[in-house]
Amino acid sequence: MPSASNDGAFSQSMFDALKAVQASMGGEAGMKLAVSEGMVQVPNAAAAIRDYAQQGYDLVIAHGTQYGNSLQEIAKDFPNIAFAWGTATDTFADKGIKNVFAYNPRAQEGGYALGVLAAKLSKSGIIGVCGPVEAGDAKTYVDGFKKGVTDTKKDAKVNVVYTGSFSDVSLMAAAAETHSKAGADVLTGSSQAVVGAIGVAKDKKAIWLGTQALQTALAPDTVGASQVYDFSGVVKEMLALSAKGTKGGTAFELSLKTGGLKIVYNDKLSIPADAKAAVDAAMKGIIDGTIKPLP
Amino acid sequence: MEALTPVIAVLLALAIGAIMLLALQVNPATAYAALADGAFGSTFAVAQTLVKATPLLLVGLGICIAFRGGVINIGGEGQIIVGALATTAFTLGFPDAPLLVLLPGGLICGMLVGGLWGGIAGVLKARFGVNEILTTIMMNAIAVQLSNFLLRGPMIDPKEIVSGTLLAQSARLPETSWLPRLIPQTLLHAGAIFAVVMAVLVYVLLWRTVLGYRIRAVGLNADAARYAGIRVPVYQALALLLSGALAGLAGAVEVLGVSHRMMEGVSGGYGFSGIVAALFGKLHPLGAIPASVLFGSLLVGADKMQRAVQVPSALIDALNGLVVLFVVGSDILVRRRAQRRREQEPHA
Repeated sequence: MPSASNDGAFSQSMFDALKAVQASMGGEAGMKLAVSEGMVQVPNAAAAIRDYAQQGYDLVIAHGTQYGNSLQEIAKDFPNIAFAWGTATDTFADKGIKNVFAYNPRAQEGGYALGVLAAKLSKSGIIGVCGPVEAGDAKTYVDGFKKGVTDTKKDAKVNVVYTGSFSDVSLMAAAAETHSKAGADVLTGSSQAVVGAIGVAKDKKAIWLGTQALQTALAPDTVGASQVYDFSGVVKEMLALSAKGTKGGTAFELSLKTGGLKIVYNDKLSIPADAKAAVDAAMKGIIDGTIKPLP
Repeated sequence: MEALTPVIAVLLALAIGAIMLLALQVNPATAYAALADGAFGSTFAVAQTLVKATPLLLVGLGICIAFRGGVINIGGEGQIIVGALATTAFTLGFPDAPLLVLLPGGLICGMLVGGLWGGIAGVLKARFGVNEILTTIMMNAIAVQLSNFLLRGPMIDPKEIVSGTLLAQSARLPETSWLPRLIPQTLLHAGAIFAVVMAVLVYVLLWRTVLGYRIRAVGLNADAARYAGIRVPVYQALALLLSGALAGLAGAVEVLGVSHRMMEGVSGGYGFSGIVAALFGKLHPLGAIPASVLFGSLLVGADKMQRAVQVPSALIDALNGLVVLFVVGSDILVRRRAQRRREQEPHA
């Protein structure tokens, strides 16, 4: 994992899923789980991936798009071990590699739903987005969110800032400050650096809408709802396939339809019923295909 | 006794680490056994240790030159980055060139640009008396931003744009530019041997040449050196330039031997850890060889410890930080004691 397993974002979403799968399999007796967190440097992660494979783990997950090239090299040396990586859609099957799964959350779907919620909750009509790097699921989330806002409230203003870093907490905080000064009363953002922005939202009495992991615990009076990546279903499926001898070749999509994406409200904040109804309608539209969450 | 000070410093750091492990209800003996196993327990582990030791040694050699010349180079991180960028630009610019051109050309480019980056701080110090600690640190920040710009703009891998993932990394370097692998299925590359050869060359430079003698003379006593006719600012600038060149070479070796492309985080903290390795080796180029292996083993072993006993990554960072703190602290202590002794000696 690129960051800490309790980062309140991308790494935590996978860690929580793995713990849930472990619990469903009877705890530590039923499933051995080992995690390497804080693997910022790709060569360090590559060493960890190879070490896990050498130890004979059934499934080795490289939780980060940046690990793909290393995984491609290592997977060839361990054809009997199942590997997985994400967010990605490439299993390297076209390169003759048969033991790699991929997973990709359609972040735009929950982004759209939370955009609808933001439009309903904002009194000023100004909404701030704190993005990390304009790429991957961060970009699709932001794009979906913007569309959700503007489809719901045409005159709403969505200010977007990309800090250029997945980990710089202070830059995220500065972005949130800027949004707040511009009048934003609802904020959102992606990556493990959002803790800085959530802190600002808390100070400014704004509402924060989270993504990747359940962020309520970070600021129980501030976080209105979170889009949660629930990888547990995908992990279970990969383990089941691996046990049957299929070590890779499938690219999994996490979506609202499959239950891999969930919108979880913070019960402590009273979200108006009409706002929740609008979110439900948006989610229904995305699932049945009548709403396209990306522009 | 003084020679053992860094060793005692490391042991003290590990002792405090043991207390932290106990607080996390982890048996320190089990954890440190995993650390040792991760660093030296298998061919793969030893190879990983040597892979980590290589950039540490190259940066450490540069630190030896700078510190011996009485200047402090904190800019290793930035010099590694610009060196890696230059090597990447060169090898991607001439992808069809033969190995005999591409590999040495890539290494030389890294050295030249790293030297230039360090040399800027050197010239500022020599010409205007600007504190080199400040300039080298600030040059780190500039290098990071330059890298961010290039890897998200002109140097980004075209495949990243097509796939939409937009990872900040360059295209893969042509295989003809790669440093040969020494052991299959490991990352150990010929750069490790190259680094040891460089250590011998730096030793020869510092102790067997007039240039090295003058650099050391400036570092030992700038006033005495000036009195002897040595142009102190020139040799201080030269020390920073050579130091930067070796860090730039470390960046070149990392992209040609390990990552085979330029990516974010290529410096990996080696610019700072290399200082500690050099201090641990008593600022002697040959002493830096075992010191780099030791610190390489700590970095690799600590990752294995995390995997084996499942401690948070924050503890690994803290443990590495403690080692740095104690080694640097012990060096300051030794220097102060030496200074006091000199002051107490009766003057002729």
